[in-house]
Amino acid sequence: MVWKVIALNSLLAAIYAFSVEKLPYITLVVTFIGVALRVMRWRSSPPDHEKIRMDPVESVKYVLLDVVLFRKTWRTDKAMWLALFLFHGSVAGIVFGHMRGFHIWSIHMFEAFGHAFAEFMVHTLPIYVGYVFIVTQVYFLVRRVMLENKQLTSMPNDYIALVLLLLKSIAGQGMRLVPPEGVPATLYNVVFIPRFVVLHLETIPNSHWFHIHIILTQLFIMYVPFSKFIHIITGVIAPAIYGSRRKEIDR
Amino acid sequence: MTAELNKKAKASLGKFTRRQVMELDTCAHCALCTENCPAYNESKDPLHAPGVRSAMAVKLYDKKYNFLTKLFGKTEITEKDVEELSESAYHCTLCGRCMESCPFGFQTHELWSRIREIVADLGGTPINVARLGKMLDENMNPYGLDPDERLDWVDYTDLHEIPEEEQAEVAYFVGCTTAFKGANHDVAFSIASILNEVKEDWTVLGEDEWCCGNPSLISGDEHTAMEYALHNVEALESRGVKKVITGCAGCYRVFRFEYPKLLGREPKFEILHAVEYLRDVLVSGRLKVEPTDEKVIYHDPCELSRLGGVIEAPREALKYLTKEPLEFDENGIDVRCCGGGGLLQAVNNEMRLDIVTRRLTEAKEKGADILVSACPACKLAFTDGVRERGIEIEVLDLLELAAKRLGVL
Repeated sequence: MVWKVIALNSLLAAIYAFSVEKLPYITLVVTFIGVALRVMRWRSSPPDHEKIRMDPVESVKYVLLDVVLFRKTWRTDKAMWLALFLFHGSVAGIVFGHMRGFHIWSIHMFEAFGHAFAEFMVHTLPIYVGYVFIVTQVYFLVRRVMLENKQLTSMPNDYIALVLLLLKSIAGQGMRLVPPEGVPATLYNVVFIPRFVVLHLETIPNSHWFHIHIILTQLFIMYVPFSKFIHIITGVIAPAIYGSRRKEIDR
Repeated sequence: MTAELNKKAKASLGKFTRRQVMELDTCAHCALCTENCPAYNESKDPLHAPGVRSAMAVKLYDKKYNFLTKLFGKTEITEKDVEELSESAYHCTLCGRCMESCPFGFQTHELWSRIREIVADLGGTPINVARLGKMLDENMNPYGLDPDERLDWVDYTDLHEIPEEEQAEVAYFVGCTTAFKGANHDVAFSIASILNEVKEDWTVLGEDEWCCGNPSLISGDEHTAMEYALHNVEALESRGVKKVITGCAGCYRVFRFEYPKLLGREPKFEILHAVEYLRDVLVSGRLKVEPTDEKVIYHDPCELSRLGGVIEAPREALKYLTKEPLEFDENGIDVRCCGGGGLLQAVNNEMRLDIVTRRLTEAKEKGADILVSACPACKLAFTDGVRERGIEIEVLDLLELAAKRLGVL
């Protein structure tokens, strides 16, 4: 029995070490190859009949209206608009929050508004944002299942991407809710890619939640170019083309 | 057979442009477009949902162009695949409403036309639509009627003669659905009468007018559309025409937005829809009419409003024609299609009538006495709906209403 526990712990330790030391490089390479393959797939298709001349003003206008404000979804489905707005808002918040760990900004940015406010912004608010993120994803997943074979037919990657994102979000939230393993005297550094990607944490998080979170996150990043999450890039390009090209619209 | 189909499929699917492949790759099948789709709303058949069509197209594309599918998936395209794609592609009015619901702004009306082109390449075009292509080849119109009958509408109206000039400032491009369909002859008469009333230096092309190419374009035959574009533009330019007026929303859209693409240059004349011309002559005072007391509701033709950008002109004109203009809830760029577009009539007339019934019912509920539009296909759909479904409302083209107020119709 004891040797089984030792073996399991050794295996976990190896996986966890791999997830921090090796997986980031694999993630980088796979993501790069994935994006390159996508671009090659598009480049190998014929261009449009007419040359698309990008209009910077119209592009920005339609990106703001359709990507930032979800204008079309507002017109179509108010519940979905709210879910999309909260989901993308929480994504922005979570990405911004993670930047503190990578020393792109610090708690001092909010200190000007008082210590309590700064504490709220970096410790309390992220927990609520995490819940919003998870709840909206569950809504998307349930909606998809309900509409399946009625109003839409999903492809496997529609579900894989959503489930992967949901699992990594749950792991991330779990990490916040489970008590940390310790509070180091100085910052706890996790070196993914020396000098380039180093995470600085104030507490040592629960090892299991933390490693599950970073493994799933890296799998998710690798999967982006192969999934509908490619819209992180194309979702900006398409409305910019729409704005530049839709000369039919009364302006 | 299957090997040949697959060879053709690879070449044909390769016609998706890089923008369209990007759109297909990005479409998350979120179904936000579905509730707004007039065809899906009537049938509730998933095959008719725009997002499902997009999923079907990308699956077929991946079978030929995705290395992962080539390695691990099924790569064979079957006749059943083509049948389903055809069923989906032709149960669509090409109204473009899915484009206006799509969060990413995919230009779906172009995507669906491309899918129809692929369906045509793979021999899946519905028989009635294929027949239409043959009639176009033989008679330069989709109704299979002799080109010399193009001006028959003149004989059926009080207009005894109309100008067929060698040179003119303005040309009236009648369009096949107006010229050959009896229900629309009064529309042609109204436009001709208004041009005479304003004393415009105008002409028609007569037998020299060919189909604008819209039916060819939307059934996937770009080559024929290009041939027609070349002919019509040459016929108009050789007459020194500076302004072309058409009462057909389809002709208008194709002249304005498709001809430059097909020809690789802008024609040397301005294209106006008759409602824009009507607005101009009413606002400038060149045409004077008394407005009616009847309540008039305006239906935006999809090809004129959402796909053509002409939204305010008919409303401005209507202010001179009625004291009580009414609006549908879904209007302008967000208009709900009447069912008259996309060759749906040739494939599923019952669905077309179901779609138009919804619109007619709403017009009645709004308390309208007259329902006006600005497209011969819309007028045909509405008059068929009134006749077949027994909904009592007067249906007119906006130009007919103007001619009535002028006292010539």
